[in-house]
Amino acid sequence: MSGLAIGIVVLNVVLALLFSLGAAPILVWIERRVAGLIQDRLGPNRCHIAGIRLGGLVQSLADMLKLFFKEDFRANAIREKFLFSLAPVIVFVSAFLSFMVMPFADDVYVEGERFIMQGLPIDTGILWFLALAGLSVYGIMIGGWASRNKYALLGAMRSGAQVISYEAAMGLSLISVLLCYPSVQLGDIVRAQGELLGGILPAWGIFLQPLAALIFIVTAFAEANRTPFDLVEGESEIVGGFHTEYGAMRFGLFFVGEYVAMSASSALIVTLFFGGFQLPYLNTQTLHVTMPLILGAIVIVVPLGSFYGIRWIRKHNRWALPNDCRNRESAWLSNIIIGLNGVLAAGIGYVWIVGLSSFSTQMLTALLQVVTFALKLLAMNFVFVWVRWTLPRFRYDQLQMLGWKVLMPLALANIIVTASVIVLRGA
Amino acid sequence: MNDFLFIFLSFFALLGAFGMIVLHQPVHSALSLIVTLLALAGLFALLNASFLFAVQIIVYAGAILTLFIFIIMFLNVKESNLPKEPNKTLYLFLGGIVLIPLNLLVLRAFYAMPLLREPLAEDFGEIKPLGAELFTKWLLPFELISLLLLVALIGAVVFARKDEV
Repeated sequence: MSGLAIGIVVLNVVLALLFSLGAAPILVWIERRVAGLIQDRLGPNRCHIAGIRLGGLVQSLADMLKLFFKEDFRANAIREKFLFSLAPVIVFVSAFLSFMVMPFADDVYVEGERFIMQGLPIDTGILWFLALAGLSVYGIMIGGWASRNKYALLGAMRSGAQVISYEAAMGLSLISVLLCYPSVQLGDIVRAQGELLGGILPAWGIFLQPLAALIFIVTAFAEANRTPFDLVEGESEIVGGFHTEYGAMRFGLFFVGEYVAMSASSALIVTLFFGGFQLPYLNTQTLHVTMPLILGAIVIVVPLGSFYGIRWIRKHNRWALPNDCRNRESAWLSNIIIGLNGVLAAGIGYVWIVGLSSFSTQMLTALLQVVTFALKLLAMNFVFVWVRWTLPRFRYDQLQMLGWKVLMPLALANIIVTASVIVLRGA
Repeated sequence: MNDFLFIFLSFFALLGAFGMIVLHQPVHSALSLIVTLLALAGLFALLNASFLFAVQIIVYAGAILTLFIFIIMFLNVKESNLPKEPNKTLYLFLGGIVLIPLNLLVLRAFYAMPLLREPLAEDFGEIKPLGAELFTKWLLPFELISLLLLVALIGAVVFARKDEV
């Protein structure tokens, strides 16, 4: 393996960590601020390090530290000590591993060797996600059972029943997607979505399979235990559900695991139905060919955007006193943005002087695609948060009715229609 | 490396199976069975059968065992309600002896199998060749098995249904 190859592998691992684990504090922040927005209040924004608040992002750091340094408490009534401690680990590890097959960018070729741009270079794709989504429920069930607490056990039972009924609909909705893109590898599916439908629409999954997309998104909410399917926690009726007895970092693992699972679900939704890492109308080949033009566009657009961004920050984050922390933070942030623009200009200037080699074109394309994927992921995560603060929780019987009597028949009908269309077009 | 992984996974597969029989609590037995199933999935992966690996986890570990544990938790067996098993070790030992002829038969069948000498196809064990094989060469057995599952499903529904007025 050459140095470049090792560099790419390390880059993949770092990106996977950033997107899953690194995203958790950002998602917590988004959750709180969006909750504030929807409920017409501000949300946490006072926590700061030396006057730097980042709009409340520092609060997540404070919460993390709180969970770390809290007393690791376990009630004496709990007899299954090993299983009690194992449960959060299962939830966290399976959520984390399920993120590892999401492609961040198109394959990169270095010296004729192919590198899949995802955390683990395995090509079982969707099957891997389904397998780990099925395993994560054990964490909740074991945790709820080992707690020896009525509410925790109720939460565990609800989670078991919910996963069994929604996994069926989820698998069936995926079958019609797999019929459209004949591969289980997520990379192939995303590449197929880089084409155009009739020359106008990008061939995204949501346009090809709108019903499958709807069913999959609903079941993904259920798999990630997010509202309106969070009966597992159901704080208004069963205290905290499966994690009633948990505290400190044991609870922290459940908490972070939930956000990582949510992020993995949105990554899969983006990958299957919203074109994954593909920029609309600019697939990988087009990007390779038009890279000089795109770099030129970036040189114009990014400084312009930064200028308006800095103006927005200065307008909204200021105070009458000249040496107030808000004014200092604004100055600090604008310096960082200007610095980043400088780095960008230097990088593009360097590329302009040296000229684009095949490798640098590939890396720049990958960089653009990673940014595209990150933006789409954030948008989908925002939808998760938006739904959580908009819809009320389902009642248990409504949940089962929806799963078995609505989603499942719809998914089956969708498979038959899709298969008929494919057979008729092939014949 | 492969040998080490094989020994590691086989050890856990056997340990899980042993635990499932020996452990007293039903939940512990079911959890122990999950260990076996996951280790078996790992063994499939070691044989390059990536589709079987995924399906083993999705279907057995993910769905069927979830249902097992769900039912066990639903019944909520108390410690005092569990049967006392006084001569458990003796019975297990005797049962093991009774099963020896069967094991010998399986071993003989295993050694009677032809050894595979030519290299396998590039896409061995992936979803496409497996599907093609199932739906062309083994279509009838495949459909019969799905029919069997359907019969079991309908039977369960019929039993569970209350007599409606």
